[in-house]
Amino acid sequence: MENMGYLFAAYTIIWAVVFGYVVFMQRKQRRLQRNIDLLRESIDKPKK
Amino acid sequence: MNDKHVLRSNVLSGLGLVLMIAALYMVFIYVPTEKHTGVVQRIFYFHVSIAWVSFLAFFITFIFSILYLWKRTMRWDAIAHASAEAGIIFTTLVLITGPIWAKPVWGVWWTWDARLTTSLVLWLIYIAYLLVRAYATEPARGARFGAVIGIVGFIDVPIVFLVVNLWRTQHPTTIIFEGGLTTSMLLALLVSIAAFTTLYVLLVFQSACLKSMEADIKYLRSVQAE
Amino acid sequence: MKSLFIKIFAIFWKDLLTELRTKEVVTSVLVFALLVIVIFNFAFSTGASMPELVAPGVLWVAIAFGGVLGFNHIFTVEKGNSRLEGLMLCPVDRAVIYWGKLAGSITFILAVSLVITPIFLALFNLPLLLPLLALVIVLAALGFATVGTLFSAVAINTRARDIMLPILFLPITVPVIASAIKVTALILAGSPWNEMLIWLQIIIAFDIIYLVVSTLVFEFVIEE
Repeated sequence: MENMGYLFAAYTIIWAVVFGYVVFMQRKQRRLQRNIDLLRESIDKPKK
Repeated sequence: MNDKHVLRSNVLSGLGLVLMIAALYMVFIYVPTEKHTGVVQRIFYFHVSIAWVSFLAFFITFIFSILYLWKRTMRWDAIAHASAEAGIIFTTLVLITGPIWAKPVWGVWWTWDARLTTSLVLWLIYIAYLLVRAYATEPARGARFGAVIGIVGFIDVPIVFLVVNLWRTQHPTTIIFEGGLTTSMLLALLVSIAAFTTLYVLLVFQSACLKSMEADIKYLRSVQAE
Repeated sequence: MKSLFIKIFAIFWKDLLTELRTKEVVTSVLVFALLVIVIFNFAFSTGASMPELVAPGVLWVAIAFGGVLGFNHIFTVEKGNSRLEGLMLCPVDRAVIYWGKLAGSITFILAVSLVITPIFLALFNLPLLLPLLALVIVLAALGFATVGTLFSAVAINTRARDIMLPILFLPITVPVIASAIKVTALILAGSPWNEMLIWLQIIIAFDIIYLVVSTLVFEFVIEE
């Protein structure tokens, strides 16, 4: 049961990095979607 | 297009979650503690799975780089790029979990053995890939350059592995990897690999979608400027 | 076929004349390579008692790093004068441009290696007449040049162009550098020929593979 610390560290890092990447992508998606919607609006407006 | 994507994303997430829980169960409960190295050995299952998936990722980048140069489909370039990103993240994890396992088992953080060294060189090659794409003067150039690096870099990997392997057989190795795997260990490993492969596919789809969205924004901006 | 050679030679000759006029690239790289060797002398302070141990590494670090610096210039010249666009207007196959530039790169790195190596051997008190070493240098130079020429064309079109080339070049050429160091060590130790064979084969395989791949892929780098 020694070296438990190492085992814990390894799995925590894996989880943290993967989770961090997923969250990063979700935030980016929200931002990009907002941009796309804004751009679409501003293109459609003058046409009306 | 979006409904299909959402469905695919949900199915993959569900599958991934189930597989990951199964893998965790197998690694922490099902598999017996290894005699020689103890509890730390359990790192091995995820470490090897991640290494395998990172190699898969770079292979996908290689294939889609060739496809992109051939057909110039933007979607394929997005997949190649996304796969390289995922590959780098996984390789980084390999390079972190490896030493964490090595320190209690071998007593050292790092040895310049074949697999570790190849992983490090691999990491450097694909960092260069990402940097070239980031620093390219235009996105179209970035895509082309990336494809070239994706092809050239991948071809190098077996050569690097061969050379480092030969190099190391001249020196006595500090480790002797304990025998073989029992069936239960093999099963745990396979489930882990399946879990991480699903995760990889999910990440690449998500990332590739984001890159397509970025391309859309650039296009919309150019339309808006008119 | 003959016309291909003429076109390749034309590109090579033009670059050669440009360089011969100023000699700036070769001179500065030579000085740099010498500096690398000198600095490494301090890095390996215990090496003086066993020069054969550290010498191979020092030589090839000097050649590899000097080479990378020099390769930066292969396409810088073209970029500055917009000569590349002019070159591409000519009805030449893109691969011809690559081979023309490659010839220049090989010449450059051979020139640097063949000057720096005797100096290096003398500084480390090693025998000066080593024909096998010349063979390794030629083979490794070819490997460096194939990759260096290709990546130079890539790096020139990125924002961090000076640092981009080493970042691209060095990981990819690890097999060449490692094998060259190994063979050099074996040569200095007076080892039998068959021990060196596998390493030489690796360098030759690398040369052939990357010659082919670079030729195929070069057009995608400079297309516009």
